[in-house]
Amino acid sequence: MQASPLAHHFESLEKQTHAARLGMWLFLATEVLLFTALFAAYGVYRFLYPEGFAQASRSIETWIGFVNTLILVTSSFTVAMGLDAATRGNGRRTALLFAVSVLLALAFLGLKAVEYSHHFQEGQLPGRFYTFEGVQAPGASLFFALYFLITGLHAIHVIIGMTVLIVIGTRAGLGAYSAEYHVPVELAGLYWHLVDLIWIFVFPLIYLI
Amino acid sequence: MAEQGSSHAGSSGHSHLGRYAGVWLALCVFTVLTYSVSRVHLPSPWHITVALLIAIAKGSLVALFFMHLWDQRGANRLVFATSLVFVALLIGLTVADNATRFPLANPPGSAGALPLGGSAGEPPGIDGR
Repeated sequence: MQASPLAHHFESLEKQTHAARLGMWLFLATEVLLFTALFAAYGVYRFLYPEGFAQASRSIETWIGFVNTLILVTSSFTVAMGLDAATRGNGRRTALLFAVSVLLALAFLGLKAVEYSHHFQEGQLPGRFYTFEGVQAPGASLFFALYFLITGLHAIHVIIGMTVLIVIGTRAGLGAYSAEYHVPVELAGLYWHLVDLIWIFVFPLIYLI
Repeated sequence: MAEQGSSHAGSSGHSHLGRYAGVWLALCVFTVLTYSVSRVHLPSPWHITVALLIAIAKGSLVALFFMHLWDQRGANRLVFATSLVFVALLIGLTVADNATRFPLANPPGSAGALPLGGSAGEPPGIDGR
């Protein structure tokens, strides 16, 4: 490490770490509320159109959501292991474990793409683009509007998280962090766990209902 | 080093690998559980209740152990707890509002009543009551 990671306006590395962590948690809180707005919309329309939502939810492939949940949970586990390696100064191991997480995230997005293309073929689309014959109950097109909003916003977060993991993982592999200083690894991990946390709630609400 | 060591994500020195592996296993078991419970068609309110309870259990495991809230200082816990309060307010009040609506007519059921939530979309009074 060439320069000290301690910025001049902080008294000690410990205080700087706490400030960084608190800042990240504040950001994560805003992310939680962003998704909460969509979940609230989901709650209202599910209440107004229970039958349409139940039928629409049954018409999508549950196993894809199920496998994707296992994939994301596992990627969270490898990210946690990567942080553990970083706390012991093993940057190469961190890079390897983050790379595994990125591959799992790619698998997640791949399955999502399969799912989306299926919806497009079937006409399971929001609003007036809804042409699916299988479910004609009122509210089904609203279900798919919320489906695409929630899973789409989540997929954008997966892509951002992957980018963060790639950047931080590469830096860790090049030896940018040490056992004493690895806050970026920790914060990247926090972001990835949040993406996992949100999916844990998306899965039952969209797929299992 | 000793002072900086305590600033790690609660992982001061000892490894968390065993804990991570346990949490990962529990998350997989819960995922299989919630999937299989959804195959059994439980009566209406229990279906979503069980699914959400399992999701909350899984979410807590991720937040407490993967995100280290378990062994973190007060401030970070407070930030997250506060966001959860607002989650409860936003979802709870919005859904409660819809759940407690009734047709506005005096006397009840007379012409001009607004439709109940379930039949939203119809213009008021079209059901001819």
